[in-house]
Amino acid sequence: MITAGIDMGSKTVKVVILKDDKIIGKAITLAGFEAREAVETAFAAALKDAGISKDDIKTIVATGAGKKNSPYADREITEVGAGSKGATHLYPGARTVIDVGAEEGRAIRCGEGGKVIDFALNEKCAAGAGAFTESMSRALEVPIQDLGELSLRSTQAIPMNAQCAVFAESEVVTLVHLKTPKEDIARAVHDAIASRIVSLARKVGFEPEVVLIGGVAYNVGFVDSLQRALETKVIIPENPEFIGAFGAALAAMED
Amino acid sequence: MFDKFRDWERNRHQYAMDWQARTGGKVLGYFCTYVPEEILYAAGVLPVRILGSHEPQDVTEPHIFGMFCPFCRDCLAQGLKGRYDYLNGIMIAQSCLHIRQAYTSWSKHMPREFNYYMPHPQRVQSPHALPYLTEEIRIFKKAVEDWTGVTITDEKLQKAIDVYNENRRLMRQVYDLRKAENPPLSGEEAMEMVIASQMTDKAEHNGELKKVLTQLPSRKMGRKTCKRLMILGSEDDDIAFIHMVELCNATFVTDDHCTGTRYFWNTVEPSGDLMKALAQRYIDRPRCPSKDWEERTRVEHILKMAKDWNVEGAIVIQQKFCDPHELDIPAIRKALNGIGVKNLFLEFDVTVPIGQFKIRVEAFLEMIGDEDLFD
Amino acid sequence: MATKELYKTRPLQSWNRAKEIRENFYRDYAQAHEKGGLRWAGGAWTFGAIPCGLGEDVWSITSEPYSASIAANKAFSQRCLEATEKAGYARDLCSYMRNYWGSIILNEYAFGGPFPKPDFLWQDHICCSHAKWYQVVSDLEGGIPYYCIDVSVGPYKDVTKHKIDYLVGQMHDGIEWLEKTTGRKYNDELLIQAVNNECRATSTWAEVCALNKAIPAPLEEKTMYSLYVLGTLMKHSKIVADYYEELRDEVKDRVDNKIAAVANEQCRLMSDTQPPWGFLSLFRYLEQFGALSVGSLYTFGLIGVWEDKPDGSWGPRTTPQQQGIEIKDRDQALRILADWNLSKPEWQHFYSPHLKTAMMVRIAKEWHLDGVMLHYNRGCEGLSVGIAENRLGLIEAGYPVMTFEGNMGDEREFDLNKTMGRVDTFMETLGFKK
Repeated sequence: MITAGIDMGSKTVKVVILKDDKIIGKAITLAGFEAREAVETAFAAALKDAGISKDDIKTIVATGAGKKNSPYADREITEVGAGSKGATHLYPGARTVIDVGAEEGRAIRCGEGGKVIDFALNEKCAAGAGAFTESMSRALEVPIQDLGELSLRSTQAIPMNAQCAVFAESEVVTLVHLKTPKEDIARAVHDAIASRIVSLARKVGFEPEVVLIGGVAYNVGFVDSLQRALETKVIIPENPEFIGAFGAALAAMED
Repeated sequence: MFDKFRDWERNRHQYAMDWQARTGGKVLGYFCTYVPEEILYAAGVLPVRILGSHEPQDVTEPHIFGMFCPFCRDCLAQGLKGRYDYLNGIMIAQSCLHIRQAYTSWSKHMPREFNYYMPHPQRVQSPHALPYLTEEIRIFKKAVEDWTGVTITDEKLQKAIDVYNENRRLMRQVYDLRKAENPPLSGEEAMEMVIASQMTDKAEHNGELKKVLTQLPSRKMGRKTCKRLMILGSEDDDIAFIHMVELCNATFVTDDHCTGTRYFWNTVEPSGDLMKALAQRYIDRPRCPSKDWEERTRVEHILKMAKDWNVEGAIVIQQKFCDPHELDIPAIRKALNGIGVKNLFLEFDVTVPIGQFKIRVEAFLEMIGDEDLFD
Repeated sequence: MATKELYKTRPLQSWNRAKEIRENFYRDYAQAHEKGGLRWAGGAWTFGAIPCGLGEDVWSITSEPYSASIAANKAFSQRCLEATEKAGYARDLCSYMRNYWGSIILNEYAFGGPFPKPDFLWQDHICCSHAKWYQVVSDLEGGIPYYCIDVSVGPYKDVTKHKIDYLVGQMHDGIEWLEKTTGRKYNDELLIQAVNNECRATSTWAEVCALNKAIPAPLEEKTMYSLYVLGTLMKHSKIVADYYEELRDEVKDRVDNKIAAVANEQCRLMSDTQPPWGFLSLFRYLEQFGALSVGSLYTFGLIGVWEDKPDGSWGPRTTPQQQGIEIKDRDQALRILADWNLSKPEWQHFYSPHLKTAMMVRIAKEWHLDGVMLHYNRGCEGLSVGIAENRLGLIEAGYPVMTFEGNMGDEREFDLNKTMGRVDTFMETLGFKK
């Protein structure tokens, strides 16, 4: 059976095509203003990657913040359901899934077979999500892909209050004026986001194994801060940004 | 000269654990300064105030909704992180809803031998508050006796009251010296002194106060006093902030905080009925806004203090989300403006953004300075 | 399928009467002076029975429901909130209070005309904002005589004589104060009537709520909001006590005939704290999943007064009249009024969230719930106090919990789409589909 999952995130659209439970095609594209076009582009690319045509796909399931606007989808599942399904399929022992995307951070507690027991999502402010690291990297004039490595070279922890992304940004400006080394500021930023995320994880009562999914998992500095705050190692799957789409495609298998 | 107080304030846990080891006595952590500590002290218990550590934390989210004040969350975090594991008891006297949650979560998840919620009148302006509180103190005394096995005789209680009253008088003497044109101590030192008194054996603190007071009148600060400020508002033990302001050509000369004057301002007045005398003291003390109604007595008190200490400007601070203070601050600021005391409002969180606040404080001090040009 | 109609349903027949009582309330208050009467203002919890002794031409406005009415009108609410902020009050304060003050500052009454200034303020205090609310009202109106009774003496289970004395002492002083302030002679007979009415109204409301244990539920919470509100307007009035009896009879009939509030009832939930008043459509959204809220501690216990019944269940508290107690004098009336109010379920959690959790778990069991939706209400610290501990306690008791942040009276702090997204997730985890 061939199925597809579409994850319409706030920043990027991800498509995964499955044959049975193996990924045969995937693609990612920026969501932009015209989400529909983005899905069409990503979908075409994934089909090409898989070497199949759309008619070969039995069921398509959408997830993500924009899922209601997704073309092609036969039905939708929630981001929490998709993330949990994807992560626990890869790691059946996973009991906590942490999903950090561009605009939202989530913590999910899972039972056997990926059943969602509890979930927590960050509220109004994006201080616990990827968009925050991007604005911080601009403030520090460091390319976003280098921010993680930079923070690993930090030698001191500087407390930063990240209840709010806007205020945190002005705290960064102050640190810059105080000539604080960039690597220490980078770490402070990652510690602050990790603190928000770990608060969510504690709310659902995290237990190992902890799987980290979503694009921010590529940021080694954030992962380092997260592990320190959780006092445990996290598992990061290959292609962490695709796990939501993967979970949606798995859900399509159940139809 | 104030090193001892600083040492106690900074090493509060070590002090309490050493005291416990040395005396074999019980240590009780309390959450609000409306707790009648004299009863505990009379039973040989060391009451210590639970305060936060001003570090970002990620442990309270499951317990306290984030719209409550950072102070109550910071306090609870100390418990959840195990920093107060040595406490034998915890308690609160009823005041605001925010800090109450630190107690209710603590007593459920980290219960101690003795966990006590003390009802306490909010309408302290009513004549009926006195009999009510007197009875509550009586019930509390009985609970402490049951817990410790110590009978709190009038003699023991009177002794405790004497020690506490002496502490209050000595700290007021120190504050009175701050009325001088060049106060012999900084606001930072004063804050450390009062906070230290909330976490040490008062008799020991009295000893240190007396030592300090012998030299303090003739002490020279070695720097200019510059602008005379007062600070007032919510719970405030943010020494880093005080330090920053005093580096900007200003000196704090007094305050209206529960980590300052509100804690020690008035004494227990002699009376045949010690329970009643204690109740009267806690009713008469300078009020927390949650207990100051229907009249706003705080406004007059603050204005008088501003005049008596010859204050040029006031920094009005509030813990983020502290509703009781938010409800008084517009009236207080209006009254301060009315007597020409310029004021700056700042909202405090667990950590304060020193850099941003410094810019505002400097601008504020310049504003006060402007008037001098026209003198 | 959730869309299938499993039960009969029909609109509530006594609905229009409820609407009429509410409209009259706001009109009577505004027109009180034209009739030579008095107007006073105070909270929904205040001891409204006491000013009744001043005469039958005394009308009140209660602040919380009035502010909820403002909140339901988003454009007016926005102007009120902004006016309050401009006057220097913090944006994170109680949103009822901010709407109410805004209405005074703008001098606009939500029901038309200028804001009718009260002759005196009569409040009670349990959350940090109650007493302070009217200090500011008095400031804004250039000084209005103000009396406020402190009721924060601890949970009902620990109430002893000296605590009742504290309340009753303040009440006696309050009556003297009322006489002095209004220049009127106080009539104890009217007080006694009002106390009897209040016990009857609040006990009967609890009886209505207890009927919602039935499957299918005869009422759903969105409707209950419009009914329970009458108690927050004038729980001490004969009109409300009589209406609740009429309502109870109708609801009983619905239970007997299995008439449902929601035809496709499959998933029974409860909420907590005030809802975001401008977005009650959220409750309609639940129905797409066959889900409904059968109530909450808020709708049951803010006005309803309850007790343990001999069979162990939770039911309406037996009134003094039902016990055959005849109230003879002022002191007895005040003592009964104090004791009755201190047993109010929605007052217990102020002292310990764990007491509230126990009541919520009890509701979850007796009302046969599948899950709980907790509104982390940024607009009300009084009802949100301890809510995170309630969540932990409910989960521990085996009930799935969904939380969402919002604000009962400040729409800027509520995101309907995001909340519906959460409902989707919650329903998905519970296994209910649209």
